[in-house]
Amino acid sequence: MSTNFDRRRINGPEDSFSPVLVDDDEDETKWRPGKPRQSRQPQDIRPIFLQPGLISQANGSAYIETERTKIACAVYGPRQSKNVGYIERGRLNVQVKFAPFSCHKRRAPIRDAEDRSIAVLIHQSLVSSVRLELFPKSTIDVFLTIIENDGIDSCVATGTVAASTALADAGIEMLGLVTSCAATLMGEEIWLDPNHDEATAGASTLVLACMPALNVVTSVWQNGTISPKQGLECMKACQERCETIHSIVAQSLVSNFTPE
Amino acid sequence: MDVDLKLPGQPIQIPRGPAPQLSNGVYSRDGQVRASLVGIPIYQASTLSIRRVRPHPPTSNSIVLGTVTRLSPIQATVSITVVDGIPLLPGEEFTGVIRVQDVRATDKDRVKMGDCFRGGDVVKGVVISLGDAQSYYITTARNDLGVIFATSEAGYTMQAASWQEMRCPKTGKIEKRKCAKPEGL
Repeated sequence: MSTNFDRRRINGPEDSFSPVLVDDDEDETKWRPGKPRQSRQPQDIRPIFLQPGLISQANGSAYIETERTKIACAVYGPRQSKNVGYIERGRLNVQVKFAPFSCHKRRAPIRDAEDRSIAVLIHQSLVSSVRLELFPKSTIDVFLTIIENDGIDSCVATGTVAASTALADAGIEMLGLVTSCAATLMGEEIWLDPNHDEATAGASTLVLACMPALNVVTSVWQNGTISPKQGLECMKACQERCETIHSIVAQSLVSNFTPE
Repeated sequence: MDVDLKLPGQPIQIPRGPAPQLSNGVYSRDGQVRASLVGIPIYQASTLSIRRVRPHPPTSNSIVLGTVTRLSPIQATVSITVVDGIPLLPGEEFTGVIRVQDVRATDKDRVKMGDCFRGGDVVKGVVISLGDAQSYYITTARNDLGVIFATSEAGYTMQAASWQEMRCPKTGKIEKRKCAKPEGL
């Protein structure tokens, strides 16, 4: 607990649990591993709400919501890099924060290993799309706040889409828009865009990020056991779904565009 | 929805004829010209670009405005607040340096920094290089570059009297500055 303690804040009791209001075991409607997917087909994704430009202080921003995954993203800069040597290319700095109420258990507002690993994954998905050679000595800051968390894979995929939309909204030059989709291997089936329960029940998860406009994959992150054949199938399914997400991103940017 | 509106990565149809010069917001990949910003591509002479009025970091030949923050006999440190006429957001200033040899074009070895700038002066300059890790190098060695706004010791806004003198309107005292020639004179 000592590492996860900030004496400048009002800290709750050391361990607290939210009351269990519904007896989980008796809830018949709840999805359980082994059951077929509820309310959508295996290759369906959750409905996406995407709104660029919600945070007025930021250079560019986006808010994304897919059922119970809710992420706000703000982009600042390009601003001058501090405390680094001369660099010809710009730097892309991605930071992820979990809201204290984002998870089932309260999450102390301290940076830990999990948000940093998500930040690294999102950075990996975005970095090849941004034309960093145009921003010498500068840093572009991307801040993501996870307001509600429904699975890490979903956070990485949704966060990437939000960050790319926010970068486009900020007017930062990019090779293309990055979209991302997650998949989980449930038995022999591929379930796209899994939520937390599905991702933990699946044998393997895979997150793919790509630029559909250029037909280029920017990042693949795979967890768990998967055969090469199934892996390729997952990637193909994700890439197809990324094109759907791309049209959603495009639509939101077009409807948000105001000529200067 | 505007038909001409392009999104990052979207291909731009180039009319037949000589290939256009690619400027801001467009790039070429595998022989296909694509947009890299959200916007409408426009032609200016033979230059194709997508305009976006957003603050951007200085590049060489950018015209910048900044405030003198630190003065030494070798150089003046400037906090750049406006790049190419676009103000930067507060807190996102870039640091620039006017070295003693870049203050004016003639008589370079007799420049005294204290007779050219003072802390708080607003200076117009041109970026000559990206400089070192900390700062951009700025020059004022042109008639239209130099101090454009300064306050006297008494605290009043001074008027330029010549290219190296400014006068306080209240006390009439003359202070030394490297003044910029006003536009349209």
